[in-house]
Amino acid sequence: MLLDFDKLGAWKWALSAICAVMSLFLLLPILFIVALSFGNSRWLIFPPPGWTLKWYEELFADPRWIGAALTSAKIGLIVMVFSVALGLLASLALVRGSFKGREVLRAFFLTPMVLPVVIVAVALYAAFLRLGLNGTLVGFVIAHVIVALPFAIITITGALETFDPAIEDAAILCGASPWEARLRVTLPGIRHGLFSAAIFSFLISWDEVVLAIFMASPSLQTLPVKVWTTLRQDLTPVIAAASTLLVALTVLLMIAAAVLRKGKSE
Amino acid sequence: MTPFLHINGIRKTYGAVVATDHVELSIAEGEFMTFLGPSGSGKSTTLYILAGFQDPTAGDIKLRGQSILQTPSHKRNIGMVFQRYTLFPHLSVGENVAFPLRVRRMGQDEIAQKVKRALSLVRLDGFEDRMPAKMSGGQQQRVALARALVYDPPVLLMDEPLSALDKKLREEIQFEIRRIHQETGVTILYVTHDQEEALRLSDRIAIFNKGKIEQVGTGPELYANPATHFVADFIGDSAFLAGELASVGQGRAGLRFADGSTVAAVPLHGQGMAGQAAELMLRPERIELTPEAGPEGASLPVMVEDLTFLGNNTTVSARTGWGAALTVRLNFGHPLAGRIARGDKLHIRWAPEAAHAFVRG
Amino acid sequence: MFSAAAPRRGSGLGFAMPAILLLAAFFVIPVVFLLTRSVTEPQLGLQNYATLVGSSTYAKVFFNTFFVAGVVTLVTVLIAFPVAWALAIMPARWSSVVFAIILLSMWTNLLARTYAWMVLLQQTGLINRMLKAVGLIDQPLQLTNNLVGVTIGMVYIMLPFMILPLMGVIKKIDPAILQAAALCGATKWQALTRVLVPLATPGIASGALMVFVMSLGYFVTPSLLGGTANMMLAELIAQQVQSLVNWGMGGAAAFLLLLVTLGLYAVQLRFLDRKETA
Repeated sequence: MLLDFDKLGAWKWALSAICAVMSLFLLLPILFIVALSFGNSRWLIFPPPGWTLKWYEELFADPRWIGAALTSAKIGLIVMVFSVALGLLASLALVRGSFKGREVLRAFFLTPMVLPVVIVAVALYAAFLRLGLNGTLVGFVIAHVIVALPFAIITITGALETFDPAIEDAAILCGASPWEARLRVTLPGIRHGLFSAAIFSFLISWDEVVLAIFMASPSLQTLPVKVWTTLRQDLTPVIAAASTLLVALTVLLMIAAAVLRKGKSE
Repeated sequence: MTPFLHINGIRKTYGAVVATDHVELSIAEGEFMTFLGPSGSGKSTTLYILAGFQDPTAGDIKLRGQSILQTPSHKRNIGMVFQRYTLFPHLSVGENVAFPLRVRRMGQDEIAQKVKRALSLVRLDGFEDRMPAKMSGGQQQRVALARALVYDPPVLLMDEPLSALDKKLREEIQFEIRRIHQETGVTILYVTHDQEEALRLSDRIAIFNKGKIEQVGTGPELYANPATHFVADFIGDSAFLAGELASVGQGRAGLRFADGSTVAAVPLHGQGMAGQAAELMLRPERIELTPEAGPEGASLPVMVEDLTFLGNNTTVSARTGWGAALTVRLNFGHPLAGRIARGDKLHIRWAPEAAHAFVRG
Repeated sequence: MFSAAAPRRGSGLGFAMPAILLLAAFFVIPVVFLLTRSVTEPQLGLQNYATLVGSSTYAKVFFNTFFVAGVVTLVTVLIAFPVAWALAIMPARWSSVVFAIILLSMWTNLLARTYAWMVLLQQTGLINRMLKAVGLIDQPLQLTNNLVGVTIGMVYIMLPFMILPLMGVIKKIDPAILQAAALCGATKWQALTRVLVPLATPGIASGALMVFVMSLGYFVTPSLLGGTANMMLAELIAQQVQSLVNWGMGGAAAFLLLLVTLGLYAVQLRFLDRKETA
């Protein structure tokens, strides 16, 4: 009865209320930023005395913001490609391989996800100081692939595990070479997983702050780094405008991912 | 004459585990050969070696006298229908069936024609544009069959293709498989653990046990003349009565049981001498229950323990004088049915050819 | 049953090589290097660890870190349990709305969320003005640049990580067990405390452990909402390396954080996962 919603009696309303309050708690800051970004108060008075688009104008007029956004997008796309490619190969090994220690290797691939990012960031920062990779695109991409890869591997191994290897065998007996079978049968079969992995990888890079703070140089910084450095000076509504755009992008990508999931279930 | 397909002493080991041990079998062109056995008996391993998914540790496989072991799976030109549904989920039925032809780079018109013919063969005309996910399990396996036959392979492998289907559908598709076998004349190697399925479909059956073939033969041969205890037990119901050999000679034996009762002149399988442990096998439908003892040596006294009415027959559970259990079937309308009760002391008798003795080893 | 595809050609390890090499070169080796520097810089020895353990400044950092992580974990569990419970049994049309909100918040840029809390919690912020308006306070409360702000911001971030797995655990509990409890005469409260909570405990424990570990190593939210006076471990590492260029101390602090993190994960693998499967 405690697990039957309609038979909970008064408790039903208590639980619903807690859910509602928590949803508001989660939603409020996000709506708040969106509202602030259109409010005309530089001092972030809420509710704002009037509405304006000037923070967006300021944002788009500043080449540093635009530059940071373009850098983020560029890094995100490159990271996406490498993360999905390496993740796909690694997943094939983990799911279809026959070597010993696959479980250990899987755990190894996931460690960058479970270790505090700051440790990875500081360690890479030291290594890149020696290699001269700090403040370079390559440095950013390597750093972000390392933290995006575990998510790609989780998503793609998940898709591969539900894709029956006998289907690949069937393709091979039909006359397809092992590579042809992988390309023409297995890859299309797990395409939803690959798309999700791509979206995850991009979002992780796009949103990543800690590594980026260490990798950034005055001439090359990502959008989160620009937000971070601006935030430490003042709480200007321009950040609200930038944050709103970030939220909008997240929502779009989430919808895309949801549509993909729906497509899979059909 | 070289056989069409010759499985020559195939042995496969995984470390210390022997999956198949010296499997030896010749298959004629157009034959429907079934590998029957419990799971882990090596029948699927043999099939996978034929498909090229696994390499044998020793032995060879020859098709029309040519070894195929060096040919990779995708060049063996063998058809296969799998246990699980293996249609390519992103391709329509038509494209699934066309796949083997596309990878063989055939022309568009020829592909269209062959796909149509293959779908017609499995009675799925007009299903070209359907997606696999929108089809029933039975339909999916029929598409898989069409896909495996569309490129006219000399040999078709079927690995328990019906095990995921329910009983009624299974029988329906068994019928279809028989028809397709007759229409195409393709050589089929069929793996199953279901004896009824094996008997219904096959020209010959190879009984697998613990990585070895115990016996090869037609269904009636295996039923009437099982070579080993395992075959006798696996095909049909049987009662096994444990005793020891009393006399041996000319392929026949007499047996003595714990209470001193004896039977005589039973066909003996395996090498044995007097005094050795052995078993008497009796098929329940070939045993007759009578009030009086039968001829000396082909009859034993029993006591009725339980009666179960099952519609077309009444199954009688009985115990021999020394306490071994066996069952006898009385067909509906049998004069004894309805006249016997628990605790009745009766006799069983059988025709001398209906019993078999196996040396216990 | 054999998986036919597996033992075909080669072992497949080669496919994993690019990822293995990448992680070896840019993850394992750098981390090991960083950790070795803790005992080699400025000279060979354990003096960095002695300083870390001995000084009261660092003691405060450790206290802040564990205290905040502990409070965040506790608050998160207390909120997440009823929410996860409700989500597990609610009609789908409601739970999917709450679910979407949780996912949205989880995937919204971390800085954007932290920025929102900085603005909401500041002295002239919405929270303070609302509290004043309803008469709860006369003077604005100090909610940022201290551990209160950090805790609120962190709870906000950690909630989804607790709710989602916990919901899965509760969903797997057979409702018949609770019906049986009711038939045995248990009141709702007894059924909750003696049946539902104990059954959900493995999920609560592993979720709490994950939140605790994540909180220990968090960098962004503590440094923005906590201010420099209330430093936590991750900030200490960053500060030692970036501002003070003291690699020895940074490495030592990183090593301690790593040790605690891995230790807690080991605890989880050893005890909690086993409990769930048993």
